[in-house]
Amino acid sequence: MGIFFSKMFSSVFGNKEARILVLGLDNAGKTTILYRLQMGEVVSTIPTIGFNVETVQYNNIKFQVWDLGGQTSIRPYWRCYFPNTQAIIYVVDSSDTDRLMIAKDEFHAILEEEELRGAIVLVFANKQDLPGALDDVAVTEALELHKIKNRQWTIFKTSAIKGEGLFEGLDWLSNTLKSGGG
Amino acid sequence: MFSLFYGLWKYIFSKTEFHVLILGIDKAGKTTLLEKLKSVHSNLEGLPPDRIVPTVGLNIGRIEVANSKLVFWDLGGQPGLRSIWEKYYEEAHAVIYVIDAACPSRFEDAKSALEKVLRHDDLQGAPLLILANKQDLPDAASAEEIARYLDLKKLDERVYIFEAVSAYDGMGIKESIEWLVGVMERSKRTEMLRARAGVTGPGA
Repeated sequence: MGIFFSKMFSSVFGNKEARILVLGLDNAGKTTILYRLQMGEVVSTIPTIGFNVETVQYNNIKFQVWDLGGQTSIRPYWRCYFPNTQAIIYVVDSSDTDRLMIAKDEFHAILEEEELRGAIVLVFANKQDLPGALDDVAVTEALELHKIKNRQWTIFKTSAIKGEGLFEGLDWLSNTLKSGGG
Repeated sequence: MFSLFYGLWKYIFSKTEFHVLILGIDKAGKTTLLEKLKSVHSNLEGLPPDRIVPTVGLNIGRIEVANSKLVFWDLGGQPGLRSIWEKYYEEAHAVIYVIDAACPSRFEDAKSALEKVLRHDDLQGAPLLILANKQDLPDAASAEEIARYLDLKKLDERVYIFEAVSAYDGMGIKESIEWLVGVMERSKRTEMLRARAGVTGPGA
């Protein structure tokens, strides 16, 4: 799988440093997705400033993961991770309908960030294997994705546990970045 | 005081930015059109047609024609996704409606989806460019045949045109966009959108 990715993304970024943020509420399945993709070792770090960031370095691309929601005092430190971000992968637990509202608010708040203006958006409507999971159209409405008007977005139904939908999503990502999307 | 002059300066010299919606049922060729527009009107390459997958969400293309900036919003056309279209109506200056002219079995679906678009209040007065796409295929219906089939009554004062194009090889694309820019520059809807932006925009 590693070779597949190196082919896919090396032609997109060349030698440029690139960053892809993988965000979502806790328990959305972000880390499971990274493990599924098997792109490299997932390194969990707790910086001195005190929130947990997981990083996968894949060639010149850094995938960085943290939980949205909760503690507001550490939020200013998120910004350290914003520069050079080409894409945001937003992971949602499609079966956790109680917290979709929070997922929506957190999502739109982070899209407001000046340094993330150019980043394209890939949403994973995850946990499709669970009963009661909302489909892509329902998650689109719950997250109010239509409010995004100045950058490209898409949504994929995924099951990180089964490994479904993930590669299709990353394929979109590399195609869109290649065609100068944003 | 500065902001007053700056606002005036911006008003006079900035290029107008037009938002153009690309709509149509699935497999009509909307994204192929978008990618073609990018390669014809900007220095971006655009995705080759064989790499284009069905859109679920929003694709964006930005080009400049004459003295205008155009932002294209290409939305997915599968039945479940069409409910998203209307969320983009309010800010759209014009609509491009793409039809697969080589697929008569889906003309009815294309027609009813278009009628629904045109009934919506948020699109009042928006110029409409209807593309009889896929002219590169044999048996593609002509623009006149599509027009006759759609039989659009009650377009009110809406400016519209039917054009035969091929998003695949580029036939008819340039002319169509030139027409669209021309009518958007003169349309009442553009005036209305500009006035609204002026009232609520920054610096006002």
